Amino acid sequence: MTTQLGNRLLCALFASSALLCTAGFVEAKSVIHVMHQGDPGWVKAYGDVAKRFEEANPDIDVEMIYAPHDAYNEKFSAAVMAKQLPDVMELDAPFLANYVWSGYLQPIKPLVDADVLDDMTGSNIAQGTYPIDKDLYAIGLTDSSVVLYGNKKYLEAIGARIPKSVDDAWTREEFEGYLEKLSKLEGVKWPIDTFRGYGIKTEWITYAYGPLLESAGCDLIDRKAWKASGTLDSEACVKALTMMQTWVKNGWVVPTSSGTNQFYAEGQPAALAMGGHWFYAEAAAAMKDNIVVMPLPKIGDKGVSPNGTWIWGISASSENPEAAGKFLSFLLKDKDYRDYAKTQSAYPGLKSFAAESPLYAEGGPLAVAFEQASKTAVARPPHPAYPTITSAFMQAVDKIFNGGDAQEALTAAAKKIDQDIEDNAGYPPFDEQQ
Amino acid sequence: MSDLVLSQPAPLAIPRCNSKTGLRIVQTVCIFIIALVMISPLFMLLIASLKDDRFRILADMGSFRAFWVSDPTLSNYREIANFSGELAYGRYLFNSLVILVVTVVSGLIINSMAGFVLAWGSLRGKAILLAVVVALYVIPQESIIMPLVVMMSRAGLTDTFAVQILPWVASPLYVFLFYQFFAQLPKELYEAAEMDGASAFRIYRSIYMPLSLPALATVSILMGIESWNQYLWPTLVTQTDYARPISVAIATFFGQDSIYWDRAMAASVLMMIPVLILYLAFQRWFVSSFVGSAVKG
Repeated sequence: MTTQLGNRLLCALFASSALLCTAGFVEAKSVIHVMHQGDPGWVKAYGDVAKRFEEANPDIDVEMIYAPHDAYNEKFSAAVMAKQLPDVMELDAPFLANYVWSGYLQPIKPLVDADVLDDMTGSNIAQGTYPIDKDLYAIGLTDSSVVLYGNKKYLEAIGARIPKSVDDAWTREEFEGYLEKLSKLEGVKWPIDTFRGYGIKTEWITYAYGPLLESAGCDLIDRKAWKASGTLDSEACVKALTMMQTWVKNGWVVPTSSGTNQFYAEGQPAALAMGGHWFYAEAAAAMKDNIVVMPLPKIGDKGVSPNGTWIWGISASSENPEAAGKFLSFLLKDKDYRDYAKTQSAYPGLKSFAAESPLYAEGGPLAVAFEQASKTAVARPPHPAYPTITSAFMQAVDKIFNGGDAQEALTAAAKKIDQDIEDNAGYPPFDEQQ
Repeated sequence: MSDLVLSQPAPLAIPRCNSKTGLRIVQTVCIFIIALVMISPLFMLLIASLKDDRFRILADMGSFRAFWVSDPTLSNYREIANFSGELAYGRYLFNSLVILVVTVVSGLIINSMAGFVLAWGSLRGKAILLAVVVALYVIPQESIIMPLVVMMSRAGLTDTFAVQILPWVASPLYVFLFYQFFAQLPKELYEAAEMDGASAFRIYRSIYMPLSLPALATVSILMGIESWNQYLWPTLVTQTDYARPISVAIATFFGQDSIYWDRAMAASVLMMIPVLILYLAFQRWFVSSFVGSAVKG
């Protein structure tokens, strides 16, 4: 009996020692938390990269934190308040200035492989750089742009000129003339889809409509004085938004309730689509040779197009910045991740990725989109007040599209933005730049 | 003259009879139309979940084709029925069920106890306490959500099942519902039991709880639906698939660039089933609870 008890005690001792050893082993591992958004395809792609990274680095565990796209900012705010910012996080490029100003991000150059940094395209460096200290805070495989997609059959039917490069983009007169002709063409229910279906919870309105307004001589804020009053509510902006309101009033624009694929839905009821580069893969699969890709129209004297996308940064509070940098370098070089990005017609942000992407090379179907990056791309205002700027602007546009008075809505938005900047004492050191 | 008097009731009687039948037909048609309007989104959801092309679903949405599927398939259900990995919807469904069951069971106990004490307990300032409970109900959940996130994170509860259950177990609405129900029961019941030497807990457990089936059913259903539909809270406090509920998981189908209607519809059908079962299980008492609270003796 005593021997039996002794054996049991010995077993228990061994078991607890083994457990302690295991616990010690687990503790020796670094854990990095990676917060991201995305649809099921991207979620799987990131998850697979994390698994491969763990296999290649047995001393590091990766915990993927998914935050729904529509609630990403709320999740981010909650993480900040709870002091639980992840080590690596995906962020929308125009929010970078605010995050750096708030002290959430750390410079990324010392943490990411030098060959990846050397591989970045100019616009990718621009979207990840904080304009005050000119330091790089975020990096990504991709950038983005918006182009004008056209239904070849309809365009030929109205005798429209099809521009081949950014330099011969449609003028406002041509654009509105074609919209009117298309509205009378049989088979066309709506001349253009501007993806109002994306709603005001995403960045779409500021990202895609902003450049059209800038082309018309308007801007969201004075980029030197950092004041919105006198710029966002100027005559140019009121005229530009009244023009877009007229398109909606005329029934030329696909309504929000009709979703986001009226360009290539059955019967192809929309003749044009002002869509992101990511839209190409699905549209081309549905329309085959009937799709044409054109630069965004010139509403005023110059053409303007958007850039910037979701990029990766490392939080200032990260306890394992080296491991986080290692993961980012691994992610950006990962072949399977790049292959998946290619299937989504991802817009290159790394030179090596551009070389792998025939879609964007000269003569490629999206070459015009890539040409826009160097000729007409204008970033959204790189200011810490950007979250307020975009929210106020999007609400104003939404109001105007729903029949509101343009001057009234834009004046209210401008006041809101200026008030926010004033409340934050000009967001020093931005105020010193004035 | 007499002819005129005799002939008067006949023409009056016939239209009265006609108007009654006509009214009934109109009522039936109205009820039928309302029922159709109520059921059609559910039917459309079910049909859409059986189509394997998300663009087809979207194209069909504006027409009657939304209510018809020529080649039904279960492929959407097969795709989301995973129990591991990043897209483990089976796992998320299980998580939601655990959260629902624990929240409802513990909620029934805690809220009913609080309601019982407010109704029959001998404590000072009961009226003020009741007023505070009712006042708490008008505070929107969203306004306290960020302080709650900070509290939960400091308590080290982030990414657990507990963080999705604890804050919602006690609710002013349900405490008040139980209070109202218990207060309506005859005072003699409590006094008789007390005279027999039963403790307050014994009276609550053995007498009042068995009598409160309609209240229990009502609270179970309301609480179950509330817990099941939570979206913002679990988004803020869950990190990994360990405790993430199905409502947050479904959001992956609504990406920035495109919406995966096919899989979203299948996941929504799966999400609907447990609450429907909950409702069907408690429906009888649920209805009688409403009837009971509407008809006063």
